[in-house]
Amino acid sequence: MTPFELVEPASLGEALALLDPDDPAVRPIGGGTALMLMMKAGFFEPRRLVSLRGLGPGITGINEGADGALDIGAMVRLGQLERSPVIRRAAPVIAETLVTHSNVRVRNVATIGGNLAHGDPHMDLPPVLIALGAEVVAASPSGERRIAVENLVESYLETALGGDELITSLHIPSQRNRRAAYIKVTARSADDWPALGVAVSLAVENRAIRAPRIAIGAATETAMRLPKAEAALTGGASWRDTGREAAAEAPVIGDHHGSAAYKRVLVGVTVERALRRALAGVEIAG
Amino acid sequence: MNDTAFVSTGQVGRSLPRVEARAKVTGTAEYIHNFRLPGMLIGKICRSTVPHGRIRHIDTSAAAAIPGVYAIVTGEDIRKIIPDPYYGPAFHDQPILALDKVRFVGEPVAVALAADPHIAENAARAITVEYDELPAVYDEVEAVTATAYVHDVLKPAGTFADLKHLVGRRQTNVALDFHLRRGDVEAEFAAADHVFAHEFRTQQVMHTPLEPFVSVAEAANGAVTIHTASQNPSFVRVEIARLLGLKENRVRVRTAFLGGGFGGKLYIKLEALVTALTLIAQRPVKVSLTMEEQFFTITRHPCTFRIKSAVTKDGRVTARKCEVYYNGGAYADIGPRVAQKSGFAAAGPYDIANVHIDSFETYTNRPPAGALRGFGTPQLVWAYESHTDLIARALSLDPVEFRRRNLLRDGRPQATGTVMRDAPLAAVLERAAAAIGWGQPFDRGSGPVKRGRGIAIGFKASISPTASVAIVNLSGDGSCTLYCGTVDMGQGSTTAMAQIAADCLGIEAETVRVIAADTDVTPYDMGTLGSRSTYHMGLAIQRAAADAKAKLAALAAELGVPEGTNLPIAELFRRKYGAQAGNIIGTGSFMPSHKSPDPQTGQTDDATPYWMSAATGCEVEVDTETGRFRILRLVNVADCGTAINPRIVETQLTGATVMQLGFTVYEGMEFTDGQLRNPSFAEYKIPGIRDMPARLEGEIVTSRQGGGPFGAKGVGESGTYAVSPAIANAIHDAVGVRISALPITAEKVYRALREAAGNPLPED
Repeated sequence: MTPFELVEPASLGEALALLDPDDPAVRPIGGGTALMLMMKAGFFEPRRLVSLRGLGPGITGINEGADGALDIGAMVRLGQLERSPVIRRAAPVIAETLVTHSNVRVRNVATIGGNLAHGDPHMDLPPVLIALGAEVVAASPSGERRIAVENLVESYLETALGGDELITSLHIPSQRNRRAAYIKVTARSADDWPALGVAVSLAVENRAIRAPRIAIGAATETAMRLPKAEAALTGGASWRDTGREAAAEAPVIGDHHGSAAYKRVLVGVTVERALRRALAGVEIAG
Repeated sequence: MNDTAFVSTGQVGRSLPRVEARAKVTGTAEYIHNFRLPGMLIGKICRSTVPHGRIRHIDTSAAAAIPGVYAIVTGEDIRKIIPDPYYGPAFHDQPILALDKVRFVGEPVAVALAADPHIAENAARAITVEYDELPAVYDEVEAVTATAYVHDVLKPAGTFADLKHLVGRRQTNVALDFHLRRGDVEAEFAAADHVFAHEFRTQQVMHTPLEPFVSVAEAANGAVTIHTASQNPSFVRVEIARLLGLKENRVRVRTAFLGGGFGGKLYIKLEALVTALTLIAQRPVKVSLTMEEQFFTITRHPCTFRIKSAVTKDGRVTARKCEVYYNGGAYADIGPRVAQKSGFAAAGPYDIANVHIDSFETYTNRPPAGALRGFGTPQLVWAYESHTDLIARALSLDPVEFRRRNLLRDGRPQATGTVMRDAPLAAVLERAAAAIGWGQPFDRGSGPVKRGRGIAIGFKASISPTASVAIVNLSGDGSCTLYCGTVDMGQGSTTAMAQIAADCLGIEAETVRVIAADTDVTPYDMGTLGSRSTYHMGLAIQRAAADAKAKLAALAAELGVPEGTNLPIAELFRRKYGAQAGNIIGTGSFMPSHKSPDPQTGQTDDATPYWMSAATGCEVEVDTETGRFRILRLVNVADCGTAINPRIVETQLTGATVMQLGFTVYEGMEFTDGQLRNPSFAEYKIPGIRDMPARLEGEIVTSRQGGGPFGAKGVGESGTYAVSPAIANAIHDAVGVRISALPITAEKVYRALREAAGNPLPED
């Protein structure tokens, strides 16, 4: 690892000014759990790291609005989310997901903003947040914008964020009257990166499924929704058939975790099981 | 002297907490990883990027120009000070840094030296090497007939008589071929009721000690001191002395606690390199590998095992033919010993009249392979216990009953002709079967989830012959210091050796101070390997203690004290010297008898001083929709003779079980054209706490090893033997499919299920 400059600005404006969109060796750093691995491996040699940990309460809080929507600061640690009573009540699927995410040492350091900005497809939270309809708030010298999590990552480790743009918070719309579940599938040890993650979120009205969102991660280049499977489910398809639709639709790729053919099987089975879990104890017509 | 004449005074058999436990948890235990010397330089290694090639040019100019770089060292620089810089325990085949050729991706080619490790690391990256690539060979079976040769000529070290026939051999990748012939297998196959043949494979895995390889060297006044995380400092001393043309007393090799070893830190690893570097730099040099660099240092042999058995209709195995190919990688390390010493037990712990074994150690263009907790045995048990289960199922025999019928009993000759003694194989098998509830009805699962049970048993001979020497020192106040070269790498040997010494001397084990291996201080020990220390060093300590006691008795007699007095030792010294002064030094050494196997037939009536055995019972739950499986229960039962410290034995067993569980279901180095595709712990996963089976148990059977110290023998490896086939057998029991190549992944199980259903899953 080469020596580099580490700066800890005290305000967002200062942090943005320290970024350099023309120099890929200048990067913001949250918890650093992903960046440090890349630095150790020699894949990334920074000139300057802009640490966000001094930016104060604006980006370290978890707030619940009157309607149940959540605003989560980008520097909130994953472990904080996992243990937060607010999260456990308002979006319990996030806390459940984090229990098996990496390990407790990483969760206590890694931040939600960094987790999303890294753009790594082998992560648990992106499909969950996509299923919940979450958006990130991103700030740059030209102002603030909202980006749906499903549009944040464009390809492997590439995001829609500009070189002088930072995620400052995460907005999760109210999940009242909605149910959600996430199933992580690992191909090796339990603390492995997922081979596949499937998240589902839906409402049940009059014994019918409404507005389902089915998202997968890890098995595809980026986390994504599966609109055909969602449509099939809305149209009354069985969970098994919804799973089949998902397996046919998902652009699954093979890697260390398994072949594409096998992961397609996993997608089908896991979508079915995620629906069963989300709807446990609920009666559905037909 | 009769070694079993000692009557225990109660120190042996205590579950004494480890004597170093407090130091470890408070961070005061010494590890070489933390060791620093004034003026010390750090070496960072530039490694080969091609699997096989001639070095055309090494450009060190850019690296040398980096401010703060002390020197860039290549193999040619080392050749100037060490004319023949090749090392190895069996073959002198491994250059300290690559010379002329590279033989695997990751082989050390050059080193950057700097006081600042970051500068050294950058400089190592700035070294550019040009190669003329050569054809390469990666597979252990192909290596036998390939025309790509990893080495131009074989160079056996000469220390092993049975390798002499390989001297100067050219155009071969076979570093050792071991043959065992007993009876006539072909005649038996021709006449047999049933003949079964299978092939099984294991993958390349590595030790993953949490303290990576680390060595520090300093040189002055014609002598060298090496501080190193080594499992066998005595060997390092001999080998460094040979390389430098020094007498042994000019080379000091010391260790501290090791953060894990598992066979990886044996023989020479970084020691020759740091020695050469310190001689070139004239400053102390430390090389401390990253966790990831360990992939390119030493591994466990991948293995292909073709096994064929003749079986009578009533379930007696009458002949077995074994073809074992060990993939030794680019340098032999101790591989030839693995092929031979494990090879002779390849037919398993069964009483088979006709046995034919060919065991090959092959060179390939992969990272070297050596000893890893079992010395080739887990690869063998994987094959013969999978095979055994398949036969039992094919003949509709209960797998435990089938094993019972064929098990080798005490007093019967093993395939080498050596008579089996003190190996309670039957007790181990029966205990494992009882523990898992074999034969009793159990929940076979419902819906897509099916349950099954499996059992397997393995055994291993002690590597022989090897020597240990110990010194017991009684000081003026009567306190005892034990000098023994056994290295405590986490297995608890410091505690066990203190217990043995204390028991012999009739004192509390907690009061014994054990001095860590340091060749300036501790006497010779062949190495902490192959589950040999408890037996060999234990006997040396017993003899040293007996010698000290004899000298104490002589002192008492000299002082006119009556025999059998309860006068404290300190009082004897006071009477002798008139003050708290003096020492009594007791010395002891042990080396078992041994007879080399006949080179043509592998027959010998004295192959090993003792046998170790273990059986594993497994219950597994398989999800037939995904192939994913969960191990509900894993029971490992071993025979270790007398348990010196029962609690440590249990943790040895469960620790080995978990390690082998990783090798069975998660771990595997994956290569494409010689390039390791998963050289990080993000993509090479070892088991974590959440991967533990719901029930994980380690048990020992009551037994006594004749000739062993207090009836004890080794147990460090036993927990690894039978884990893999027990899991595969349980999966077969649950869902009727057989996985024949490790690791057993969910995808493999799922594919096998689809295959069995006549609806195979497409490749991609």
